[in-house]
Amino acid sequence: MADNRVLIVGGGPEGVKAARQKSEEGAQVTLVEKFPSLGAERIPRDRLIRSDEGFINPDLDKVRNDSNIHILPYSDIQKVHSGEGAYFARIIQHGLRVDNTKCNDCKACIKVCPVNMLDDFNEGLGFRTAVDFYNPVTAEYNIYKEDMPVCQRSCPLNLDIRSYVGLIADGRYLDSLKTIRDRLPLPGSIGRVCPHPCETACNRQYLDEPISICFLKRFVADVELNEGIEPVYETPEKTHPEKVAIVGAGPAGLTCAYHLARMGYKEIQIFEALPVPGGYLWVGIPEYRLPKKLLQREVDLICNMGVEIQYETRIGEDISFEDLRKDHDAVFIGAGCHKGLKLRVPGEEEYEGQGIIDCVTFLREQALNPTEGKGKLIVIGGGNAAIDSARVGWRMGFDEVYILYRRTKKEMPANPWEIDAAEHEGVILQYLAAPVEILGKDGRATGMKCIKMELGEPDASGRRRPVPIEGSEYVIDAETIVPAISQGTNLEFLPQDHEFSLSRWNTFEIDEDTCQTNIPGVFAGGDVVTGPDIAIRAVAAGRNAAMGIDEYLRSK
Amino acid sequence: MIYEKEKRYIVPFDDVPSPRAEMPEISVDERRGNFDEVETGFPESVAVTEAKRCLSCRRCLGCALCWAECGVEAIDFDMPDEVLELEFDDVIITRGQDNAFSAIDPAWGYGTYADVITDLQFERMLSPTGPTDGRVVSPLDGEIPARLAVIQTEPEGDENHLLSSVVLGVNESILALDRTEGLKITLISPLSPDFKERFLADAEKIAGLSMVEGKAGSVQRSGEGDPLTVTYSHEGADHTETFDLVVLLTKPVLSSETQALSKKLDKPVQ
Repeated sequence: MADNRVLIVGGGPEGVKAARQKSEEGAQVTLVEKFPSLGAERIPRDRLIRSDEGFINPDLDKVRNDSNIHILPYSDIQKVHSGEGAYFARIIQHGLRVDNTKCNDCKACIKVCPVNMLDDFNEGLGFRTAVDFYNPVTAEYNIYKEDMPVCQRSCPLNLDIRSYVGLIADGRYLDSLKTIRDRLPLPGSIGRVCPHPCETACNRQYLDEPISICFLKRFVADVELNEGIEPVYETPEKTHPEKVAIVGAGPAGLTCAYHLARMGYKEIQIFEALPVPGGYLWVGIPEYRLPKKLLQREVDLICNMGVEIQYETRIGEDISFEDLRKDHDAVFIGAGCHKGLKLRVPGEEEYEGQGIIDCVTFLREQALNPTEGKGKLIVIGGGNAAIDSARVGWRMGFDEVYILYRRTKKEMPANPWEIDAAEHEGVILQYLAAPVEILGKDGRATGMKCIKMELGEPDASGRRRPVPIEGSEYVIDAETIVPAISQGTNLEFLPQDHEFSLSRWNTFEIDEDTCQTNIPGVFAGGDVVTGPDIAIRAVAAGRNAAMGIDEYLRSK
Repeated sequence: MIYEKEKRYIVPFDDVPSPRAEMPEISVDERRGNFDEVETGFPESVAVTEAKRCLSCRRCLGCALCWAECGVEAIDFDMPDEVLELEFDDVIITRGQDNAFSAIDPAWGYGTYADVITDLQFERMLSPTGPTDGRVVSPLDGEIPARLAVIQTEPEGDENHLLSSVVLGVNESILALDRTEGLKITLISPLSPDFKERFLADAEKIAGLSMVEGKAGSVQRSGEGDPLTVTYSHEGADHTETFDLVVLLTKPVLSSETQALSKKLDKPVQ
């Protein structure tokens, strides 16, 4: 019965039972199991047993010998999607790395294997080696080689950290950099600003401290820079004629362009509203964390591949979005989140631009046209943008710089080392306080009425919700107030009657695998999809989108 | 110590602990009034030392010792993964064997005491294909336990879980008692009404097993070499009792992969 093909995920008792049932109903069954062996011999959980019937599963032999059931052990479902009443799955069956037809079960391999890890087939009871036979009855020998270590898996871009760190240990710095650039075209920039989820995952922390992965990445990027080496990123001889437009020269857009160029696309145009590249890396991350010169060089290397950036070109104003689509075979939107969200307290609108300036604008203006600061600066918020704003303000010469945060240091979403650095520099952090009203005189903000908070029950984010303490209002004077509570997207570049599906946060909804929006040929990635997030995730989205765009254009 | 992280196990070894390299910075005095880069980067020697701290996580690195040792040339590192593109009319998602670790409250001593194990680990221990060929032994010292406690760790809420986990606990007790001479087992759980109605009478007939309707509080060891002390409440009074092995009845957790697949295809997990 070719019209009844069933995929069963999981080779435990439930999966084996379902396989037998479906086969009896006449279906062609594919049973996918992660481990090299089915594991259906379990103790029942729905009835009491006799002592001789614990690990017997009568279904198992039936399933193993059923010609209508195709068992795929040691397999993972890499991709699956549904459409037109069918499911399409890409299944990876891992190579066992042992030819079990030759194996004579002598166990010599197990004796010499230096890997000693807890036995995952036995729920961590006892130890095993990397080469193992899993189930002694069926003895499927295999060598377990993880697809990636924890650091690589926790990196949104899945950088091959083990390789590039190992190459540094061997003194092969430029090879290390080449390994990084296989995925990441901005190693010097990301090596400075990344909050490094890889280090959070690093297994070395259980011995002493995690490896300083991020700074090692920066190190190899700096080696090339300091030695004055100008690399040339290779592009293939075989080229593709299709034109691709990229909206925004931020980390997502630049990475998308880089990977498309490496695939042989010649006609890649990036449209950038600002006069500078890098998106938030340029106008959000302050110079003292990421020197612009260095970022510019990394962008130049991408442009040398034939990528063109049109600066000061705002889609929706200088070129309509519809024209962009018409003139290009595919469009990638990496417009980021460049709108500072409002506090929504009285007085905010009234004094906007007159002492009230949102953090995105504040940081952007300092990046493009630096000015000096005077008097007192209050930054409101607890994220990295708040810390950046405060540390920038301190450098601008503000006499006193405060950060006001409604919870405590423990709940602050900013990187702890950034908070420490701000404190170290003399920024004053006031916890458990929230703005109530912006006060002003003669059209200018002069201060802020605040209220003290206490922590109540945990909210949806798991953090304790701050609750105002009645009657605890107080006033602080300030010449400049910078709300840094969060950022949102600005989608004004889209036509009024656009048909994109958007989330309730006004971000694009996309297909996770390809980054394609609901409109064919239009892709999106980075903060414009995720909301404000870390740069490396935008880079990863840019790379995914490049592959999605290539798949789309090649199947056209 | 043994560490668990997202179903990955690592075993620490004897590298001399060494702290990670610190990033050199310009002083605070040098920062005011300018935007100079604060962090100045690792010098070469520091970078190399730091890179050498990487454990490579000691997974198979293709060292080929097994390949060298294998007389019948069965080891083949280049055996490729196979990629299958398949089409189906229906998908059934089951929980599979890939049990995610549920967060177990440290009060139960799991991870601290080697002789506190989960029900899933106990199941493997009892299995004829398991690490001890089905014998009940303490992972702490390899001794055969005389007193074993099976305790409910998540008694609140889910009635179905409460029922199935106690049935599993009783079944594991049946197998353990059959294989271990002189073993005494105490099973401590609030016991759901459903369990009491359907199974309690039979469970109470099992020689060597005492069913305690109550709530366990914590598992502790007062000193090295001492047995484990379990505190629990039963009939309004607090009790403490010592055991050689403690089995925790845990709530199974779906792996994040299974959850994601279920969400993506909008199909329940069976």
